[in-house]
Amino acid sequence: MSQGRFAAGFLVPGALWLVLLFAVPLGIVLAISFGTTDDLGNTLYGWYPENYEQVFDPVFLPVLARSVGFALATVALCLLIGYPVAYYIAIFGGRWKHVLVAMVVLPFFVNYLVRTYAWIAMLGDEGVVNGALGADIKFINTPWAVIGGLVYGYLVFMILPLYAALDRMDPALIEAGKDLYGSPWHTFRNVTLPHTIQGVLAGTVLVFLPAVGDFVAAQLLGGPDSYMVGNLIQQQFFAAENWPFGAALTTVLMAFLFVWMVLYLRSAAREATAE
Amino acid sequence: MKPPKDFDRPRFLKAFTALFFVFLFAPIVLVVLFSFNSSKSLQNFDGFSLRWYEQFFGSESLRDSLAASVQIALVTMVVATIIGTLLAYGLVRSRTRWSGGLNVLMLVPLVTPEIVAGVSALLVFTQVGLQLSLTTIILGHITFSISYVTVVVRARLAALGLDVEEAAMDLGATRLDTFRLITLPAVWPAILASGLLVFALSFDDFVMSFFTTGESPQPLPVRIWSAIRFGVTPTINAIGTFMLAVSVLTIGLAIALPRLLGRRESGVGVLFGREAA
Amino acid sequence: MIDARIDRRGLLVAGAGLALAGCGVNDSGGGSKEETEKPIPKKVDGDLVYFNWSEYMDPAVIKGFEKEYGVKVRQSYFDSMSAMMSKLRSGIAYDVIFPTAEYAQRLIQGNQLRKIDRGRLKNADLVYSTFDKPWYDDGSEHTTPYTMYATGLGYRADNVPDMSGSWRDLGEADSGGKTFLLDDFQEGIGMANQVNGHDLNAADDDALSEAKDYLLELKPKLRGFSSDTITTMTSGNANIQHLWNGDIVNIRNQVDNPENFKFQKCKEGIPVGSDTLAIPVKAKHPGTALLFIEWLLRPEIAAQNVAWIGYPMPYESGATESFESLVKDDPSINVTVDDLENGEQFENLGRDDRRAWDRTWTEVKAS
Repeated sequence: MSQGRFAAGFLVPGALWLVLLFAVPLGIVLAISFGTTDDLGNTLYGWYPENYEQVFDPVFLPVLARSVGFALATVALCLLIGYPVAYYIAIFGGRWKHVLVAMVVLPFFVNYLVRTYAWIAMLGDEGVVNGALGADIKFINTPWAVIGGLVYGYLVFMILPLYAALDRMDPALIEAGKDLYGSPWHTFRNVTLPHTIQGVLAGTVLVFLPAVGDFVAAQLLGGPDSYMVGNLIQQQFFAAENWPFGAALTTVLMAFLFVWMVLYLRSAAREATAE
Repeated sequence: MKPPKDFDRPRFLKAFTALFFVFLFAPIVLVVLFSFNSSKSLQNFDGFSLRWYEQFFGSESLRDSLAASVQIALVTMVVATIIGTLLAYGLVRSRTRWSGGLNVLMLVPLVTPEIVAGVSALLVFTQVGLQLSLTTIILGHITFSISYVTVVVRARLAALGLDVEEAAMDLGATRLDTFRLITLPAVWPAILASGLLVFALSFDDFVMSFFTTGESPQPLPVRIWSAIRFGVTPTINAIGTFMLAVSVLTIGLAIALPRLLGRRESGVGVLFGREAA
Repeated sequence: MIDARIDRRGLLVAGAGLALAGCGVNDSGGGSKEETEKPIPKKVDGDLVYFNWSEYMDPAVIKGFEKEYGVKVRQSYFDSMSAMMSKLRSGIAYDVIFPTAEYAQRLIQGNQLRKIDRGRLKNADLVYSTFDKPWYDDGSEHTTPYTMYATGLGYRADNVPDMSGSWRDLGEADSGGKTFLLDDFQEGIGMANQVNGHDLNAADDDALSEAKDYLLELKPKLRGFSSDTITTMTSGNANIQHLWNGDIVNIRNQVDNPENFKFQKCKEGIPVGSDTLAIPVKAKHPGTALLFIEWLLRPEIAAQNVAWIGYPMPYESGATESFESLVKDDPSINVTVDDLENGEQFENLGRDDRRAWDRTWTEVKAS
């Protein structure tokens, strides 16, 4: 198909760019993960697979488990909060739909750090909220503060795909469902949810994968037990100057995330061919 | 989409959504409010003042950082939208041996933890001996932006279908002309919307910039990260408010421009690949 | 679609990476010994490329320099020694940098710092004589000291009644659970070493195992690890915070009730350190850099800078007087020559010791 050949040419700039500036750098990370450092802290290439042994040291297992746990909690909360909001905007938003979506996205563009520090100011022991309540509740430096920070940071990535999926739905389906099932809950479970499951999956992936590797929320909002794998990686690159170990951690993390991404893509592909 | 006819008035959902927006904007309100505070305090509002904005715009080094951030975001926007659009067209309108792998490769940056992307970019630049500068930041930003453009434009292209293009070619138009005169104008809202999204993301980016920045000027978010450890000064809140204003403008354009250019749907609708209603 | 092509692509990518890897070892950025020894002519030779911690120099001091010599100071900032090193290694030609003492030693060993003939600088005689032969820079030829600092405990005198002058207050004083440790492996392990009666820089297995036990025992009593010391104390989230003396000065500047914020130097040991000024061997404008160092030595400039950054600079007259007046109602915040000579300083651990320290710290944080 000659239009196909014509269009295939368009792939070249993007392919070249991504290979040279994304795939190759990841390859270098892989190479460094087998290296070591000299006395002055410079990275040396070589063959030191013990870096990977270190990654799987049982002392780090809780860190990985915690990261996955926090990320799952974040996804769950994002779904619980995001779905009703996306539903309301998509179905009841009317003329204001687009403005509402814009308002969801807007806070996301205030610098992440500035927003997080604003939360610390608000929820600090001597901050606005405690002041107003006349209380001394410890909000910050808890696991829930970290999850809250993660949810706040990634919620938009859940709402947008959900909104897109809901917006695409034919309202007649919901009406038919209501006639068939009677209660809103059953309509939701048997009609709306199945039709928006791709949006749910997309949002889940877009939230879960980056959340696992996040380091800022735990650093700023966490307590002593909030060490996540992103912090561990950051520690290796910044404080410990152990780039090879950091690279090994990174490689393992990405491999782990890649598995989930492939599973998601398979499911999306199946859905696309089924439609 | 209009709400189904016999739905109850969604009182609960409405209240829930309202509460959601309150929480979403609470810290933003704080930031904006205290950027106009006449004193340094972050607890008490002592009167209205523009002094922190004076400090921000009066500082040559902060102004340079602002200019750097804008420059980076603009170049990133232009290059990423071009490459991303071409990639989207190629992925949708052709089927090669490489398409599957390329599709995956294109999606990976979207889910790569930022620290990984930043470190690997720094590594490749230092290995190749490229001096860190605004250019390296731009290269890094473009790399993670292409995927956003491709995903958005591709959804739009897929929804458009081949019919009009095939009709044009039946009428004797060359493939290049068809692309230029038929396809491109039809996906233009998607290109614009994703371009503005890329601009906003680049303007606020910290992690990638941090790794790939050279000597001065450093982009604004990097400056904020270094300074914020020493306490949030009201100047930082002023910077944050200013960035918010820029983003409001950007998104406002994203919504309004396609309408102003005569399309019937706004950029947001385009962002989600729906056909013109 | 998605199948074996990914594996092939993955192999290609790894192969490319490994091939590139074969192309060279990471450039350490060092020069030859001769390059470092070349004398620097003391004159303006271009704009100054400045690389420092953020908020660590009075902007007015920088502006003053720009005006006096008609140059621009192009500023960028790092937030850790490691970040500074990796940027240096990436080949950027900074003119003046601010390494800590032990990193200065590393850089000198790697032939990465130019020789500074301090005798030619005006007011060089004001520098404390302790710095004539610092442990990290034999003959003091490659660095000029910038600031001194001591690590201790910052605390809310109004909220914590029973501080006892010991590091153990971290776990034992009644802070209502609002205690923070510095999120810094060097300071953390060093402090644990001092509590256990070892040298600050002990790195043998026994010392580290004791350090780990102590830290693990302390951890549940902590509210968190944080190097955002100013934020934790000014927000009221911390009643006790492991921090540096200059932080207390800055905290007191930002709160309404400064008299409640105090600094405690601990009896088991006071980690003392200094930050230095240095000119990297790749600097393109070393003459301007030399003039900049001379600028900072001026008593009135140093005094102004001290008042702004809140840390003492080790120069007689201007700087010393300025800091003394800053802390006159709590002189314990000061770092005197006495503290420098009797306190323990962080040494440049070799790679293996450093790994051992980091390993211990990571295990504490991960468990």
